[in-house]
Amino acid sequence: MKQAETGQNGIKRYKDKSVKKKYLTAHLFSCMIAKVNEMEKIVRQTLLYDFYGELLNSHQRKLYEDAVFGDLSLSEIAQEEGISRQGVHDLIRRCDRLMEEYEEKLHLIRKFSETKERVERIRRLALEGRKESFAEIAELSDQILQTL
Amino acid sequence: MAVKMRLRRMGQKKAPFYRIVVADSRSPRDGRFIEEVGYYDPTKDPSVIKINEELAKKWLATGAQPTETVAKLLKIAGIEK
Repeated sequence: MKQAETGQNGIKRYKDKSVKKKYLTAHLFSCMIAKVNEMEKIVRQTLLYDFYGELLNSHQRKLYEDAVFGDLSLSEIAQEEGISRQGVHDLIRRCDRLMEEYEEKLHLIRKFSETKERVERIRRLALEGRKESFAEIAELSDQILQTL
Repeated sequence: MAVKMRLRRMGQKKAPFYRIVVADSRSPRDGRFIEEVGYYDPTKDPSVIKINEELAKKWLATGAQPTETVAKLLKIAGIEK
């Protein structure tokens, strides 16, 4: 049973476990990345790297940083490294896929952004200081505790 | 001198923002840049794009080549050559 649910960025996520594996293949992953626009892509890659970058090896880290933090083109990196443009392209893609797989299993980015949103909301409510907001603050706090 | 207009990641871990800088294209890895023309801050909702139009236009006119992502930002900000 495929039950699709459109999540953030309009990416379809499949709830059913049997489909999940398929979702992680290189082909489907590249389709997914292509849907996200160019700006969201670089922000996504930056976040992936902030959370999972240490799981890459030092060579991967160096090239990924050049591409994502330094905004170097594939051919610029290729030239600096003395390898082919295709080689750089494959390496970046592999890093994207690896780290998306970690996220798929650990959800660190998703939990981080959800918690951040909730804390920001609590902060706004606290600054307003209205008694009617207390119930909502308690509810948000519970939600945060549940994701820990 | 060939120059490029590219993004540079700034900000703390997990809270990225990007400067838009003009830099020499021959040594893309060293951190130096010639001038900052704006920034892109996706931590705000909605994202903030701030570009000094006069500067950006000046650099584009003198042949600075924007990267794909910077070109996209310029387009969103409505800056054309």
